[in-house]
Amino acid sequence: MEVLFEAARDAAAALQAAGFEVELHQPNLPVYAPEGESKRLAKKHKEEDPVHEWRGDPYLALKDRSRLLELCRFLRDELGYEVLMDATAVDFDAEDEHLWGVYQFLSVGRKRRLSLKTFIPKADCRVDSVTAVYPAADWHEREASEMFGVEYLGHPDPRHILLPDDWVGHPLRKDYQYPDEYHGISCK
Amino acid sequence: MANSTKDPALRAGERLVELDVRTQDVEINMGPQHPATHGVLRVLLRADGEILTGAQSHLGYLHRCAEKIGEKVDWLQYLPYTDRYDYLSAMNNNLAYSLAVEKLLGVEAPERAQFIRVILAELNRIASHLVAVGTYGMDIGAFTPFFYALRERELLLDIFEKICGARLTYSYIRPGGLMNDAPAGWLEQVKAFTELFDKKWGEYWDLLVDSKIFVERTANVGVVSEELALAWGCSGPMLRGSGVDWDLRRDAPHLVYDRLDFEVIVGRGYRGTVGDCFDRNYVRMYEMVQSNRMIRQCLEQIEDGEVQHPDVGLLLRPAPGEAYVGIENPRGELGHYLVSDGSKIARRLRVRGPSFCNLAVAEHLLPGCMLADAAAIIGSVDIVIGETDR
Repeated sequence: MEVLFEAARDAAAALQAAGFEVELHQPNLPVYAPEGESKRLAKKHKEEDPVHEWRGDPYLALKDRSRLLELCRFLRDELGYEVLMDATAVDFDAEDEHLWGVYQFLSVGRKRRLSLKTFIPKADCRVDSVTAVYPAADWHEREASEMFGVEYLGHPDPRHILLPDDWVGHPLRKDYQYPDEYHGISCK
Repeated sequence: MANSTKDPALRAGERLVELDVRTQDVEINMGPQHPATHGVLRVLLRADGEILTGAQSHLGYLHRCAEKIGEKVDWLQYLPYTDRYDYLSAMNNNLAYSLAVEKLLGVEAPERAQFIRVILAELNRIASHLVAVGTYGMDIGAFTPFFYALRERELLLDIFEKICGARLTYSYIRPGGLMNDAPAGWLEQVKAFTELFDKKWGEYWDLLVDSKIFVERTANVGVVSEELALAWGCSGPMLRGSGVDWDLRRDAPHLVYDRLDFEVIVGRGYRGTVGDCFDRNYVRMYEMVQSNRMIRQCLEQIEDGEVQHPDVGLLLRPAPGEAYVGIENPRGELGHYLVSDGSKIARRLRVRGPSFCNLAVAEHLLPGCMLADAAAIIGSVDIVIGETDR
């Protein structure tokens, strides 16, 4: 677990030194609470600091999504994160103005992981595809694209992958309306 | 129309013949119902005679909206859905999900539960690899070894049935620990299996993997180089078969793996090139031996104790936050990325299935191969469609 924090701190420092505007977010709850303490600690944090209560992994937040591809190239070539493990999107709330684009990197050589988050406005739901740097993003981006309606600019093959080609809507959006029927098959 | 030309490099009496044959690419549908695709996968192949010129996978026939369901049901209610991604290694799926939820809950399972989890995960790895190697033999024309492999798998399913009542979809490993403690005599049954398996393992090796036909069909076929494997995010035997020394059990220690002594098996080009179909199967074969070793060590070290964390009940309310946890499944890294808002239902439940990523690279191996090798290559990736489509 400590490795995750160290990796995130190092990567944040290196990226900031290289001129990328990334912010390091760290959870403020202890990773593993002593037995019998987890609920009490969570409650205490909730009362003291309800806004920033956040548990789990540290991550880097990139505000300016136009530099995503450049940042990925830096991560791969300079910091040794040679594997993109996962690329996905998150719609946290229907009211939110942004989707999150979440990327999980892995460095096999240095045995480190890194989580990166970028923000994609729902009004202009486009972001650069990272397939040019990490081919692994190919299918992940196709999936995120059909599920969330994100357009990945420069993706080599932007077809649907899991859903039928003529499926309407993006099912994992929080404001998704279930269709009544699909080709005469009732969905209710 | 044949035309002959004189080439100055030719010796006396020799003639160079060039055939002006017009060929046409043929499109072949492999699947959705094809025995070698191990489920409802459709691969659209393009072939020029015997040589493949293109391949395109069409997924989604088994898409059951696991991630959407994850945003609709309780944290614990989702557990049975994890059984159904990779139905050949449901224990490992339960474990991956449980570890991710535990990270958000901020708890760790008691020690006895961790030992039983490792025993089950490794037993399930053996069961899964037995099916993988057995069915792979069937894909390339060896029918008998499949029955040998399933014979031992049947014993494993009995072991699973004894501990949780189910043979395929267990929901036994759960956030905070286990459903119940192991029944009396269960650990002895596992011990008997490990001893038996050591004797039987040689049979699959001699009968299938080390046979001349198997080597001829798999060596130097479908070579995945180290760079290709890393760039495409491969994991598990697919990555290790390509010579990358990476195993999450050793390199990202969780549970009690750091107390066990085991080797990480890596492909070295044992019968051909590093990263060919043979190496991937070699890795699976020897991983079974290592898993067996780990189980034996667990049986020696396990002690009595609780199997469920006292703070974790049936209704889970993890703190707000997000976590990505990936563990080493038989097919590679199964990752869960969970986002919680502090309520009893997940905000986002992302599943990163290893078969999904490993299959993506297979599409790029096929062009240039023989048509008959398509089954050998797709089979060696060892996909489970329940996981690629989720």
